[in-house]
Amino acid sequence: MKKFLVILILAVLGFHLFAAFSGLGFGVTRFEKGVKDFYLEKTVSELHVANTVTSIVVNFRGFDTLGEVTVLFLAVSAMGGILYKRRHHAGDRSVLFSSSSIVRSGSKLLFPAIILLGVYIFIHGHLSPGGGFQGGAIIATGFLLMLIAYENFSVSHNTLSYIESFAGIFFVVIGLLGFMNGGTFLQNFLPAGILNNLFSGGVIGIIYVMVGFKVAAELTGLIYTILHEKD
Amino acid sequence: MVGSPVLLIAIPLLAAFVIPLIGMIWKELVRIIPGLVLAYMLILSATLLYYVSQNGIIVETIAGWQPPWGINLVFSPLTGFLATLMSALGFLVWLFSYRFKRNVDFEPAKKYFIFLMLLIAGAIGIVITGDIFNQFVFIEITGISAYALTAFYTGRNSAEASFKYLMMGALASSFLLVAIAILYSQLGTLNMADIASKMHTMNPTYKIIALIFFITGIGIEAEIFPLNGWAPDAYTEAPGPVGAAFAGIVVKAGVYAIIRMIFTLFDIPSAYDFLIVIGLITLIVAETSALRQEKLKRMLAYSSIGQMGLVIVAFGIGTHEGVFAALFLMLNHAVIKPLLFFSGSSLVFNSKEKQIAEMNGLGKRMPLMAAFFSLGAFAIVGLPPFAGFWSKLSVLSAAANEGLLLIIVLILIVSVIEIVYYFRVVNRIFFQEYSREKSAAPHRPRVNALVAMFVLAIAILVIGFYPDAVTGILHNASKDLLNTDEYINNVLQLGQSLTR
Repeated sequence: MKKFLVILILAVLGFHLFAAFSGLGFGVTRFEKGVKDFYLEKTVSELHVANTVTSIVVNFRGFDTLGEVTVLFLAVSAMGGILYKRRHHAGDRSVLFSSSSIVRSGSKLLFPAIILLGVYIFIHGHLSPGGGFQGGAIIATGFLLMLIAYENFSVSHNTLSYIESFAGIFFVVIGLLGFMNGGTFLQNFLPAGILNNLFSGGVIGIIYVMVGFKVAAELTGLIYTILHEKD
Repeated sequence: MVGSPVLLIAIPLLAAFVIPLIGMIWKELVRIIPGLVLAYMLILSATLLYYVSQNGIIVETIAGWQPPWGINLVFSPLTGFLATLMSALGFLVWLFSYRFKRNVDFEPAKKYFIFLMLLIAGAIGIVITGDIFNQFVFIEITGISAYALTAFYTGRNSAEASFKYLMMGALASSFLLVAIAILYSQLGTLNMADIASKMHTMNPTYKIIALIFFITGIGIEAEIFPLNGWAPDAYTEAPGPVGAAFAGIVVKAGVYAIIRMIFTLFDIPSAYDFLIVIGLITLIVAETSALRQEKLKRMLAYSSIGQMGLVIVAFGIGTHEGVFAALFLMLNHAVIKPLLFFSGSSLVFNSKEKQIAEMNGLGKRMPLMAAFFSLGAFAIVGLPPFAGFWSKLSVLSAAANEGLLLIIVLILIVSVIEIVYYFRVVNRIFFQEYSREKSAAPHRPRVNALVAMFVLAIAILVIGFYPDAVTGILHNASKDLLNTDEYINNVLQLGQSLTR
């Protein structure tokens, strides 16, 4: 009886939500209004950035990105904090798998290429699709590959924490420099440059490189922590 | 001017990134820096609050784009009052826990101070932001710090409490995101003032669905009745000072978010009645549950939920007196509940189970702590010369002005329940015999903890004997909340703009 009631309530709720959402019309008529035209226009005319998504993420809504970077930092620290005791006592890996020589030599070959791709993506965040978050995630997969292939592959926790902290500090300091030079927090204070050049968009490119470093260090640290958990 | 509102967010974030580095140089700095940051935030927000009361609202743009295109922060009498309250409490919580795990375990202590600082920064962000998606980001920051602090003792129970909180919080975030998506799809903007000014053009069906998603999402942070299952466990399992931070800071931010939605963004009049009903249910269920609790912190947690229910009822009255009473209650709860948590956790410091029964006869062993606890208990139930009396009186008079007799009757009945369970504890502390086997061993609190409690106790007495000290600020704040048009105009035309 109880289950039947739950299913009934869920069905009624689901029906109404479906009816509402099917009428919302994502991508049609209503979307002609609002702030988007301003973004599309100013990205090219004022910021000289080729990738509108990047200009929205890093400049128009850069404060949100700073918040999201902090969320990632918090999540990784919390993870490390919860697994801390266990990791401290045991120096060894908790997950051990022997990998074949194909995986070993293959990953040695692929590792530099993956790192290069990641770096390329976050350096060109303001020119081509992708950016700091994506590039950082790709770099972390490179480290994951090495950790899977080699049981004794190790990453220095101190180095990761240096990279993480410095990237975060630079992000906030760039924001504060904008506050002192341009007038508001995170405002662009460098020359915007020429559209489609590598050095264009002022601080946007620099911030995204910082985000790339930070995300790469944090995700790598996360993978490393989980692999070395032992109970 | 010592700075602008954005520094209330930027400085703690910067400090959070600096602390891991600086901890490698001198470990004590990990404790000192959060205190300095919180002290700076307190001075900054108090100065800005004074400035705002003289010169009008500050609207600060970020990245140089004016609202509605960029993100903006709004520092008004209401948001400024809450930000000042939160940073003051944050500083006291830091002071109380300064010696936390000192010389014991460095790594967890470092994490503790980072999480505590970001918890406070996130809550202040929720309050001062003027952008709905930015608010979501700050809710995430506050939430994740709160989950981490709940799981701090890495035991079985704290892991369970934290997991419960995490699951509910994650669900809440996705609900919030759905609500934001609906609003954006209909209005094409994320700025609160812009949404408020365009709200009348929105289809009522979507309006109601978005509001429901919002209230369900935020309600978990604000501890509304069916959504507060995480709270008693989290308060019990988290370290003592963190319980005070949850009750004094996080819940206030959640309530503010709901109130901002209903008063400013959505023009749905029946939402006020909904607030009254849901608040009354929360109040009654929480206070009757508190009566049955055996553990001290669980009892305080239920009492905190009940007080939030009362705050929501007072907001639901919707008049100037109602809002004033609600803000007064929020202020008093933020002053009294931390004192109860601080002194209570000192009283049961040496006990494993933290049972109320273990507090027998502690009044003679730890007279000062017992006095603080009873001061808090007397104040929160609303005995006359203390702070809680004035706020409860103002709720009742606000309800009486609107002729809501049922509410008055229910609040009075619930107050009696509240008196019963608080006095039960006070009775055990003072009038039961201390027994070496059953009672908790006495614990001498450190100087820093004593100072934090003294400040709170003095605040309770000052508000109690001279309520005019705060009523001016509260009247300004409630005027600010009710004046939606002024809010919209100020933001969209950058009232006291800081664009320079």
